[in-house]
Amino acid sequence: MNNPTNNPQSPALPAGMGSGFLKTLGITVLLVLVIMRWNDFISIFTNVLLWIYDLLGNGPHMFGVAIILFTILIRLVTWPLNAQQMKGAAAMQELQNDKEWQAIQKKYAKDREKLAQEQLRIQREKGINPFGSCLPTLIQFPIIIALYQSITRALASTPLDLLKLSRSIIFPFLDVSELIPLNSKFLWMNLGQPESVNVLGFALPTLAIIVALTTYVQSKLTLPPSTNPNDQSAAMGQSMAITMPLMLGWFALTFPSGLSVYFITSNLLGIIQYAAQGKANWRNLLPGRQKQQAQKK
Amino acid sequence: MRKKLIFVTLVLLTAVILSGCAGGPMRGTTWAGLAASGNTAYLADGSFVYAVNLNNGRELWHYPAKANSKQFFYATPVITPDGLVIVGSAGTDHSLIAIDPTDIDSETQSPVEAWTFTGAKDHWVAAPLVVGDKLFAPNSDGNLYILDLSDNRSAKEAIQVIELGGRLWAQPTTDGERVYVTSLDHSVVALDVETYDILWHEDLTSAIPGSAVVGTDGMLYVGSLDSKLERFDPVTGNHDTLLATEGWLWGTPAIEDDTLYFADLTGELYSFNFKEGTHNWASIRPDGAVTASPLVLQDFILFATETGKTEEDPGTLFAVSREGEIIWNEEVDGKIYTTPVVAGDVILVAPLGAEGYLYAFGLDGRQVSWSPFTPGE
Repeated sequence: MNNPTNNPQSPALPAGMGSGFLKTLGITVLLVLVIMRWNDFISIFTNVLLWIYDLLGNGPHMFGVAIILFTILIRLVTWPLNAQQMKGAAAMQELQNDKEWQAIQKKYAKDREKLAQEQLRIQREKGINPFGSCLPTLIQFPIIIALYQSITRALASTPLDLLKLSRSIIFPFLDVSELIPLNSKFLWMNLGQPESVNVLGFALPTLAIIVALTTYVQSKLTLPPSTNPNDQSAAMGQSMAITMPLMLGWFALTFPSGLSVYFITSNLLGIIQYAAQGKANWRNLLPGRQKQQAQKK
Repeated sequence: MRKKLIFVTLVLLTAVILSGCAGGPMRGTTWAGLAASGNTAYLADGSFVYAVNLNNGRELWHYPAKANSKQFFYATPVITPDGLVIVGSAGTDHSLIAIDPTDIDSETQSPVEAWTFTGAKDHWVAAPLVVGDKLFAPNSDGNLYILDLSDNRSAKEAIQVIELGGRLWAQPTTDGERVYVTSLDHSVVALDVETYDILWHEDLTSAIPGSAVVGTDGMLYVGSLDSKLERFDPVTGNHDTLLATEGWLWGTPAIEDDTLYFADLTGELYSFNFKEGTHNWASIRPDGAVTASPLVLQDFILFATETGKTEEDPGTLFAVSREGEIIWNEEVDGKIYTTPVVAGDVILVAPLGAEGYLYAFGLDGRQVSWSPFTPGE
């Protein structure tokens, strides 16, 4: 799948500076720019969110719908990044199952330095960008934080938030004085506060549970089977499939429920994206099936 | 297996720390609430409400004794005729508390609650209004809660809840017959002060963060984010636009005789004769935006600007004569959003983002010797 012939490196670039390196550099520069202009970044998010809300007629429940549409928009914009992440993860997984790499791992099991050099060589030969799968994931973090901040800014729960909101309007066609206060009700939730449903006297955090479940399903579906017992990335993937649902579930429990709406929509879209590309590994959802699959391979 | 366990623990720990950092209210989340009575200033700022002796700037007490993660204060405290300090919490407990400054716990050295009300569904931004033995308390959940101050109950219950909708962020106003409530959902409502019946409910085109004010002519004046000053007939609710302003009107106008003093978010200061319909002075825009209400003092009108000419400059107090001349101006550390308070011959300012919590100035603009007040110093 990934070899030097179908991943030609530009002859104009110095050795080791392939297109993967340039992509990594580009994403890193983009991340630095976002962090440097963080307030402007939040303002853009807030404006787009308010613009969608305005287009929807700013009635009851419409801010929740605006968050869902905004999430779809973000997913569309970051589609190439997600595709790259999936491609990078698949390439790394293919490497782990590669006989030559497994032989190298066995040969240099006690020489970590040599093993690292060989890993770099084989990755270069196969045209694999070692950051190809993790950098697009890193992009998601500023988006999640920006979305959280833009939701809280748009909902403006304190006088200072409201004043900041009035000053963060950069779209000239948005009349924020008419839009505020935003209607924070969506279905049974107040999007500006963490959600819970009263069941028999207990406050059941339904959204947090749904966030954890959908994150778990998405993580499991994207885990490819591995036959390599030394496969660190597979072990990491397994850990992430447990920690990410717990982490996002905790966020959903603590932060305004508007962020949970984003998590759930994003997870469902991710599942649909994997399924549409025929890469969803549905058998992974059954306990113990992943090991069996790997052994069969 | 061990590595996996360490990894999982680290990620979860990071999540807890991140949510703790971003989710918890802290001082500086918004501007403080400030009130004064006699020689004592009451400052609602973050986790505590402070009582400060204005003779020496020393802290008399703070409430609660220890910070409570469910409580967060920035609504302006209200002092009742019998000396209770009523303040609402913007924390997750949604409580309205009456602190009794005369009942100090000997162990914690903090005052105890005379009563608490926990029936609201959202946080408290507005100060309540005391009318006789009744308390009109507007909450961000859109309800106006009416409490009986004379029932001697330590756990108060509302004698009436009036659903007005929107978010109620401004203290109600009364002319003795009616109570007027403004809302961020663009509405102004008049209630009968005795029966609590809604007499009229009028909508403007944008949010109203400030209170209504009753003029010497008996009419009601309301500023809004639509950059207009609206005049209401208090009996019928009929209204017309009195004046279009340069920017959003945030603070409540101040009234003296036939003149309304107010300022907008562009920093324009106004003195408007509502009887004649004329401006008393030409355009004055000395500095940054104004969210605080002006104070009418004997020798001047006091305006407080959020910042200087640039965002980095600190806020400034401006003493403006009735003829429109700036008598003195004094920069204050931090930004000024909270309406200053006058106690005797001291002007109190609670800026945001300053090292000190409370600054005190004489009527000549000079800072008094004990200023600023910082808890624990």
